[in-house]
Amino acid sequence: MPEGPMAVVKPEMKPYIWLQTTDGSIQQVEEEVAMFCPMICREVLQTGMGSSKNYAISLPQRVNPAILGLILDYCRFHQVPGRSNKERKTFDEKFIKLDAKKLCELTSAADSLQLRPLVDLTSRALARMIEGKTPEEIRETFNLPDDLTEEEKLEPLRNLTDDPRIRLLNRLYARKRKELKERAKVKNVEVEEEQLVDERPVDELLSFINGDGESKGVKAAKNKKKNRRRKDLSGNFSSNDSNCNQFKEPNHLPSGYLIGDIDNATSQSKSAVFQDSASVTFSPKLEFDNELDPAMEEELDREVEDFARRLNSVWPERMQEMLSLGQERRPVPVSLNGNGAVK
Amino acid sequence: MSSMKQREPPKFLCKLEMEVDKISNLPGHIIDKILSHMSLRDAVRTSVLSSKWRYKWDTLPHLIFDNQSVLVSSQDQTLIKNKLVNIVDHVLLLHSGPIQKFKLSHRDLQGVSDIDRWILFLSRGALKEFVLEIWKGHRYKLPSSTYFCQDLIHLELFNCLLRPPATFDGFKNLKSIDLQHITMDQDAFEHLISSCPLLERLTLMNFDGFTNLNIHAPNLLFFDIGGVFENVSFQDTFQLAVVSIGLYTNTGFDRNLTFGSAGNLIKFFAHLPRIQRLEVQSYFLKYLTAGKVPGRLPTPCIELSFLSLRINFNDVEESLAALCLLRSSPNLQELEMLARPEEQSAMRISANIVEEDYENCPFNQLRFVKIAGISGLRQELNFIKFLLANSPVLEKMTVKPGSTDGGWELLKELMKELLRFRRASVQAQIIYLDP
Repeated sequence: MPEGPMAVVKPEMKPYIWLQTTDGSIQQVEEEVAMFCPMICREVLQTGMGSSKNYAISLPQRVNPAILGLILDYCRFHQVPGRSNKERKTFDEKFIKLDAKKLCELTSAADSLQLRPLVDLTSRALARMIEGKTPEEIRETFNLPDDLTEEEKLEPLRNLTDDPRIRLLNRLYARKRKELKERAKVKNVEVEEEQLVDERPVDELLSFINGDGESKGVKAAKNKKKNRRRKDLSGNFSSNDSNCNQFKEPNHLPSGYLIGDIDNATSQSKSAVFQDSASVTFSPKLEFDNELDPAMEEELDREVEDFARRLNSVWPERMQEMLSLGQERRPVPVSLNGNGAVK
Repeated sequence: MSSMKQREPPKFLCKLEMEVDKISNLPGHIIDKILSHMSLRDAVRTSVLSSKWRYKWDTLPHLIFDNQSVLVSSQDQTLIKNKLVNIVDHVLLLHSGPIQKFKLSHRDLQGVSDIDRWILFLSRGALKEFVLEIWKGHRYKLPSSTYFCQDLIHLELFNCLLRPPATFDGFKNLKSIDLQHITMDQDAFEHLISSCPLLERLTLMNFDGFTNLNIHAPNLLFFDIGGVFENVSFQDTFQLAVVSIGLYTNTGFDRNLTFGSAGNLIKFFAHLPRIQRLEVQSYFLKYLTAGKVPGRLPTPCIELSFLSLRINFNDVEESLAALCLLRSSPNLQELEMLARPEEQSAMRISANIVEEDYENCPFNQLRFVKIAGISGLRQELNFIKFLLANSPVLEKMTVKPGSTDGGWELLKELMKELLRFRRASVQAQIIYLDP
């Protein structure tokens, strides 16, 4: 036929559409059958392709000739308008009596051709092959590699009733809360005396909120408040790290200053550490933790930070640790060593 | 050399495996589809199949926790509850991606406060369908975070208490709502209905806390109600096509309304111009008889094709109301008239409706008629005669008596009369079914 792709199809008794699969083979299909596939329908209507052998419509990669044959059988049956629902259902049930491999290929091909009813039909069939079967049976049906370790296999079953991760999190939070409460009770008297007036200037508060104040906030010595007020009065406030080290306090409270100094030294490393644990922000907590003993503070912070790191890492590997942790050390608090590994 | 030899077998095996395992590499949305056709339990169990399958289940868009998907075998209530809560917590925590549908309907889960935090979690996503059925225990009070799920399209609640916050302004995307055994304030209910602009389907069964059903929903298509109420009125429901309404109580409404005011029958149909299917159940027909019952409605229900009436044939008012409806439905195709069983006393009430009322009223489309629960009373026979005489295209009429308390004599009379009645339709079959 000398006509170009945009020419009108000759009014033959049965118009045909030409389809080409990725292996290069071309076949012609009755028009009404092929147009049942939305993807082919769109191609024909939008680009005019498919009317001759030279201008065959290229089918997606997932459609090979054998599967195309099956799909066309499906379309050929269902595109006839007069069929009853019962007839269609009977056909469908017979149609999907295929092996797993063919069903998967069929699902994939139907999906790429956007033939939704067929995708629904085949997914249901595949679901029936999976539900209610043991893992071994399913692996055999679909040729899945059995490449999980024994512990990994046990985890989902175990965790459906019993999640050590959640329990660990709850435990840590509970302990933190308890400790904070205890500290608060002890410090109450002192705190009351100190907290009469908050004379911190606005920019100090701002930098504190924005996180710059972390390094200062962490080493919460008892008399931190006193320190700060002194700073204000002396008017030597400037931002962040350099300030901590260079701060010269008037000699009202030498002990306080000393403590502050010691804490400052450790704070440097600490703030660096904080910035690394990207997923956990500490600012709100810090405000509250003002009155804490620094060593205790550090330990708690490291625990939570470590836990956060664990949460963010791939959990199967860590799950083993937590499983053993959960079994052995139920009432006893977690103890950590320096690099965050759980003992 | 040897290393090359060692390398070959694994490559060969890999190739075979890749060729033969066709399912693991299917696109994600197909895997989701496959997994969504099985219970949640089976879907989660696929995580032990292979390393590729470990996390395939956690993008399931529909999470359904019901008696099938969660198997908890135990008799101890607390144990069951703890297990269920653990399972839901665990699934929600491990899930990734959007959750479109969440259904919680487990026989053993009462309205525990854990549901609050699950709803809070869901409200942060773009939840589209939410189904919550509390099978046992008190009404569960929905937390305020429920009302922040602005992407909801379908909401289904069973045994819940709804108290929206004062700032609640409706679900802007809600199309379908199904409330059964719920408690709600009058204002809250009206506000909820009127502030969901896209609402198309409303199902309301067994409710308390409100008794006036003021339905202001311009896009409403489907309305299914059964409960105890005093008053029902529609406003601007010009699209409403399917209505099924049942009033479960015999009392509580005043038949003698103010003189001159339109009766309930007229008021009810005033805003239902497009009604296609109507089911009048329980005592609702009695409610409709309050006030003035006209011979015909001011505007006929020209689209009404299916009508089902639960009627007490002994009651003159109800019969008049039924007649009025029938006269106003020229395009009726299918009709059911079901007698209310408890009111079928064997009394032969001779309160005849005047014969003129059964004059020409052609049902040019009426094909199927079902009459059930009758006992051979005059009124019933009048209706049947009326229908047979006015239905030129009638195909089938089934007549089924109620219980045989009235005795066989009455039924024999009934059958004799049925045979005698004049029929307008030549192909009409009258089928007598045994009670």
